[in-house]
Amino acid sequence: MTDDDLRERLRRADPAARLEPASPALVEHLVEEAMSRTHVRRWTLPVAAALVLLAGGTAWATLRPGPAPEPVPFPIVAAAPVPSVQVPAGGQAKCAEAKPESLAERATIAFAGRVDEVDDSTALMEVTRNYRGADVPRIAVNQPGGNPELLLGSGDFEVGKEYLVSAVGADVMICGYSGEAGTPGLRELYEAAF
Amino acid sequence: MNPDPRRARFERLAPTVIDAVRRYLARRTDPATADDVLSETLLICWRRLDEMPEEHLPWAYAVARNCLANAERAHRRRFRLVARISRLDPPPTVVDGPSPPDGDLAGALSRMRPEDAELLRLWAWEDLAPAGIAVVLGITANAASIRLHRARQRLRDELVGKTGPAAGHDRSTEGSRT
Repeated sequence: MTDDDLRERLRRADPAARLEPASPALVEHLVEEAMSRTHVRRWTLPVAAALVLLAGGTAWATLRPGPAPEPVPFPIVAAAPVPSVQVPAGGQAKCAEAKPESLAERATIAFAGRVDEVDDSTALMEVTRNYRGADVPRIAVNQPGGNPELLLGSGDFEVGKEYLVSAVGADVMICGYSGEAGTPGLRELYEAAF
Repeated sequence: MNPDPRRARFERLAPTVIDAVRRYLARRTDPATADDVLSETLLICWRRLDEMPEEHLPWAYAVARNCLANAERAHRRRFRLVARISRLDPPPTVVDGPSPPDGDLAGALSRMRPEDAELLRLWAWEDLAPAGIAVVLGITANAASIRLHRARQRLRDELVGKTGPAAGHDRSTEGSRT
């Protein structure tokens, strides 16, 4: 019995030989289901950083010294083993020009990440480069209520886009230290700092 | 705004993955479990799309195989609890599929080691070459080629009635070889 004979005999016994192809409607349903489901429950270990991203000049203006208060940082959730950190009591610091020295001195977590999934309040990011303290495959950034005007760059988390994020302990650094990776000057800031 | 290239890639690959994985699962488990595992497999394919190689079907089979093994483990745990059946955990291999109507073939496959029977299924039903089988099973292509060769020979032996203990069934020594 040749290999071909053997394979043919096995194929005649294939239980799926008469399985109808999936209908286009079923395919569409399955695809949409896969892309819309999230697994944030896997990422529930609070690392507690926060993400507040600044949206260029407009946000800058709102955060300058003056009556406009600093936005409250968002908690960040990440996969173990990123160390757990606490949310600072402050968050009221005034924005100054983002400097690499300050980033290097203050940041305990800094990474480049590509957004894998976004749901209502969480952006799951695949870490594409660990600048400091982010030696994990993925980090989820929680932004309850959203605050897209605070994002540097496009103004929101978008699946497939890369961002640069830094955090001091529990809080993501704001005031121009975190945002879309393509934001002019941001990557240079990270490269200079780390 | 440009369409999301990641989403576009997934939508392009998904129909072939769905078709192939549906068949893979239909060959190995019941319809309800197959539906659940297919959804889980697609979710993982979506989440890990960047890791999906160009030759994506063996990779998708490997994902489905792991998801199915997890589902079967969960089924077994529930079954043991409800039926109060005491037994050791079955080997961590993908479960046998529905019995083929070819009784001799079914018997021959059932007498083979599960991992050998699975190799033959991947070869004949999923139409995979040793390199693809290697991806699914997480072994080297060389090991897959050798094991496939031996598995075919064992099946031939079984089918022609050489079923004695000395008919090439080196079950006690073969398992650790890769």
